Amino acid sequence: MEPTPIIQIQNLHKHFGETAALNGVDLVVHQGEVVVIIGPSGSGKSTLLRCINRLETFQTGSVIVDEIPLTTAENINAIRTEVGMVFQSFNLFPHLTVLENVTLAQKVVRKRTKAEANAIAYELLEKVGIPEKCQGYPGQLSGGQQQRVAIARALAMNPKIMLFDEPTSALDPEMIQEVLDVMLQLAKEGMTMVVVSHEMGFARAAADRAVLMDEGLIIEQAVPDVLFSQPTQERTKRFLSKIL
Amino acid sequence: MDDENGLEKIPGRGAAKYQIDHWWWLVVAVAGIVLLLSLTQPDPYWRIVKFVSDGVLVTVGVTLVSFLLTLILGLVIALGRISKNGFFRWITTIYVEVARGIPLLVQLLFWYFAFPSLIQSFGRLLSLQILERYHANPYIMAILGLCFCYGAYMSEIYRAGIQSISKGQNEAARSLGMTHGQAMRYIILPQAVKVILPPVGNEFISLLKDSSLVSVVAVADMTRRGREFMAANFIPVETWLMIALLYLIMTLIAARVVAWIEKKTQTEER
Repeated sequence: MEPTPIIQIQNLHKHFGETAALNGVDLVVHQGEVVVIIGPSGSGKSTLLRCINRLETFQTGSVIVDEIPLTTAENINAIRTEVGMVFQSFNLFPHLTVLENVTLAQKVVRKRTKAEANAIAYELLEKVGIPEKCQGYPGQLSGGQQQRVAIARALAMNPKIMLFDEPTSALDPEMIQEVLDVMLQLAKEGMTMVVVSHEMGFARAAADRAVLMDEGLIIEQAVPDVLFSQPTQERTKRFLSKIL
Repeated sequence: MDDENGLEKIPGRGAAKYQIDHWWWLVVAVAGIVLLLSLTQPDPYWRIVKFVSDGVLVTVGVTLVSFLLTLILGLVIALGRISKNGFFRWITTIYVEVARGIPLLVQLLFWYFAFPSLIQSFGRLLSLQILERYHANPYIMAILGLCFCYGAYMSEIYRAGIQSISKGQNEAARSLGMTHGQAMRYIILPQAVKVILPPVGNEFISLLKDSSLVSVVAVADMTRRGREFMAANFIPVETWLMIALLYLIMTLIAARVVAWIEKKTQTEER
């Protein structure tokens, strides 16, 4: 069966003032695919990710998500409800309890009743392994726990795609695995995921494709094992020699 | 031994919870002085208090109404200042610069004396009877003047509060599909409130004091009533001492309430 493309990025250009961040990126992600983006800092990988749900605007090119082009404000909000995002710094809402963090958008965006939203939230918090701390505030949780709540919060909107922007970079080494486990589980369930991360173990275990970016361009992409062991581009070799 | 036990009773962190904020004693002390003066020398002190008592209500009323309106106006202006729409940003910025750049007293004089005149000329120009016979109500003009000026300061406090919330909070809310308005209402403003409460409380106290300026535009507030009493009795020391003490009681009470609200919001959560 021909895989359906769910994210289509064409010739994407983005610059912050004089500084170019993306110099014409083309990327297609198919339904159910897990794509890991690696690259040095400043290579534009986070910017690319943030263009997918329009947290960043871009100058030229096109982004089509689930057949909706990113153009008008209505379209952008339509896409955002289909695309979940997990941030490096978690960005949980500190003034709301863990449970409220997961239910708020369900209620105000998805218009679910409190009972429905709570039921979904309990189920997801169970899934990410935080069932007992629902009434606590994010500040009382460890980093790993906060990031897992953030994943539950995004999943509660029933997204078709999940974006992860360096989800483990702000975590203590001991807590990285618990977050990766949740992500592995998601990948196994067939979630379409685009992950900016240097967790090679995760890429090898879960990703269908690894993409190397530098200076706002995609340098090379391949199945993770192939990319990591037999890179064809000089730039890729240089980068991998520094992180492997 | 007794001394050691005595030392332990010094209120520490644990005990502070059950203790009344000790600065309330200052309020009690000032109120005590007013009471003492009124009781020991009813003439002139008690006479002054009785004479200005309706002015006290006017001062409190004008301050409270202006403050509530300023809270709303400030929020609207602040949202305009951080708006993506260039026109809203432009017009609200001009307003803030104008309102902060002119002394409050001059603004009050303008609203009470110049503004109605302008309306009347405008009415004559268009031969509109209603506008031609326009007469300014001093209370409304006083409140308008206070709000116009304080709205600008308040908007800057709101703006600083909103901008102090990390960008990631807005991004997280927007990435969940919330609109700009929903993100403001559910995520940004509830967090900003804590940041802005102390400066907003200070604005209230400033407003209370600056409300004395409305006495020049025919509002019979405490200051104006004081001047009237003085004009009739020629006892400046007693009159202005009493007026000063009455203002002091009000601002000290307001300061205690602000401190209490601050403490309450800071201890909740986390």
